[in-house]
Amino acid sequence: MTDVNKTGVVVQPLASKTAGQLTRWERLLIILKRDWQLYLLLAPTIIWLLVFLYKPMYGLQIAFKDYSIFRGIVGSPWVGFEHFETLFNNDQFIRAIRNTIAISFISLCVGFPVPILLAIMFNEIVNQVFKRTAQTIVYLPHFISSVIIAGIVIAAFSPSSGIVNTFIKALGFDPVYFLTRPEWFRPIFIGTSIWQEAGFSSIVFLAAIAGVNPSLYESAVVDGASRWQMIWKITIPSILPTIIIMLIIRIGNMLEVSFEMIILLYQPATYEKADVINTFIYRQGIQGGQYDVAAAAGLFNAVVAFVLVITANSIARRYSKTSLW
Amino acid sequence: MSRVSLQNIVKCYGAVEVVHGIDLEVQPKEFVVLVGPSGCGKSTTLRMIAGLEEISDGALRIGERVVNNIAPKDRDVAMVFQNYALYPHLNVSENIAFGLRIRKTPKAEIAGTVAEVAEILGLTEYLDRRPADLSGGQRQRVAMGRAIVRHPEVFLFDEPLSNLDAKLRTQMRAEIKRLHKRLGVTSIYVTHDQVEAMTLADRIVVMRDGYIEQVGTPMELFNNPVNTFVAGFIGSPPMNQITADLIGGDDAPAAMMNGAKIALPKLEALRNSEGRKIVVGVRPEHISIAPTDGASAMSIDLDLIETLGSEALLHTTVSGVPFVAKAETHGSVAHLDDLGQLYIRPDLIRVFDADTGMVLDQKLAS
Repeated sequence: MTDVNKTGVVVQPLASKTAGQLTRWERLLIILKRDWQLYLLLAPTIIWLLVFLYKPMYGLQIAFKDYSIFRGIVGSPWVGFEHFETLFNNDQFIRAIRNTIAISFISLCVGFPVPILLAIMFNEIVNQVFKRTAQTIVYLPHFISSVIIAGIVIAAFSPSSGIVNTFIKALGFDPVYFLTRPEWFRPIFIGTSIWQEAGFSSIVFLAAIAGVNPSLYESAVVDGASRWQMIWKITIPSILPTIIIMLIIRIGNMLEVSFEMIILLYQPATYEKADVINTFIYRQGIQGGQYDVAAAAGLFNAVVAFVLVITANSIARRYSKTSLW
Repeated sequence: MSRVSLQNIVKCYGAVEVVHGIDLEVQPKEFVVLVGPSGCGKSTTLRMIAGLEEISDGALRIGERVVNNIAPKDRDVAMVFQNYALYPHLNVSENIAFGLRIRKTPKAEIAGTVAEVAEILGLTEYLDRRPADLSGGQRQRVAMGRAIVRHPEVFLFDEPLSNLDAKLRTQMRAEIKRLHKRLGVTSIYVTHDQVEAMTLADRIVVMRDGYIEQVGTPMELFNNPVNTFVAGFIGSPPMNQITADLIGGDDAPAAMMNGAKIALPKLEALRNSEGRKIVVGVRPEHISIAPTDGASAMSIDLDLIETLGSEALLHTTVSGVPFVAKAETHGSVAHLDDLGQLYIRPDLIRVFDADTGMVLDQKLAS
């Protein structure tokens, strides 16, 4: 006797039981046996997730313990929310939260639309040679190490030999010490992030645009739509689900400000505007040896990110019927 | 309504010529169907008329204007696409109104026109729905609504029914015909389905490999195909075509195929041609199961009877060559089971040249 499940797949029951009598585990076993090749392909990803994302969660408990590397995680005594109190009484941590939110928010507002604009512009280019050349040029920074990107930025903004200051000096002005001036940090950091990632991020949107039915454009042409009208009335609405999905993901990662780029570009003189939660954790935990306080800061970061992504997903689902889950 | 005139229209993609200098005159208010197998150039021709493909050579006129270099929006044509081309993010009302909104028509006028078109097409109750929430037939009606809302001079249809199931296709076919009668707009319709072509067209244009094979009314094409291609393309089932030798002299011309003999009409074109290779064309509908005056009998082996209801298709072989006949059932196919002979009237036979495939002149010898 067989049973057809919701997806139309025929489930073969165990020996004498009907499909309705099977337990959840027995059903799982049947499905695993039937599609074992697919689950084998999935296995490396699951193992990676367990080893690198789930197992470290065990260590999160040190955020609530007076952790000592000599006593170990289990041996260290519980201290409740003491580390969180310490953090929220620390001006540097509050400053790091403020900077994280500011940098993330500005990055989101300025940086998120850029790949969409790039994708639309690439889509409008008729000359294939020019299109491919332009795409290669904007994709390239993504494949360059952040260390080299930071090196290029530092060299470009160098007060003595940098191209930017050479230009400023040529105009008759004094050189500007961009990388030591806090007010310049955010524009330089966000600009660098956009330069490095916007091109590559545009691939997703370009793929979404490629999926738009060409006859929609042809129909609009016959109806008399201009290029602008086609972009506004066809391209953007058609890729809106992709934009929303990418926005949710981006909001989820909002607090994960490009840590290595900040480490490479900031210096004590710019901490005021540059120090974010992740760099604070790095300095406290790795450099300062306060693993428990750093773990508490990291946990706070993760909880806020989790709440953000849940909220963004719910809002997206409610208003656009598009969501991650 | 406008006349559409194609004069020596050529389409090339690089060095490859796909439409080879075709000429066609579509009269105002006429419904012309371009029909042919895949790759024959019918859709390309339609897209050139719409302005979606550049014309490589020749002149295209809509009304009195040469429109070769005129943008699609200024040609005053509307097109219905095979996959409907409905905007998924807009509801039915917004989809129908799209062309008007693009042209900055006043809102009150748009609302009135959309309501009128929705009424004509029976879409009034679906105006707030998105295309995803509509059935195939409803989507097709919305696509037609988008076209008629602008009151264009010419309608272009690019295989608009090919995504529908057979029943819905028949229904929509009738709706298109009714709509054309009501609006009287010059229409050019592309399809590969000869039944659609026969039922819809005032005139049919049969195309093959970028050439026009024949232009004529459905019955002209059915009764007098100019060549074996048109004979095989128009009609369902198609015309039987059997290669044979001409025998019998001028007084009693006949076709001899593998020992079977069929009397032919005494055509002028068959005179003094004994021994010539010919193709005998007989419509399945023109074959009789009972003897009639002047009809020649032909022995058959009956393979299969396909019952269609009031009619049946008889799949037979004549001297080993497949041959299909259509017979009336009168409520039963029992009387067809033991059929051993079929009868063909010479005047209903079309004779083609075996080498060129062209029909021989039907003029009777004096």
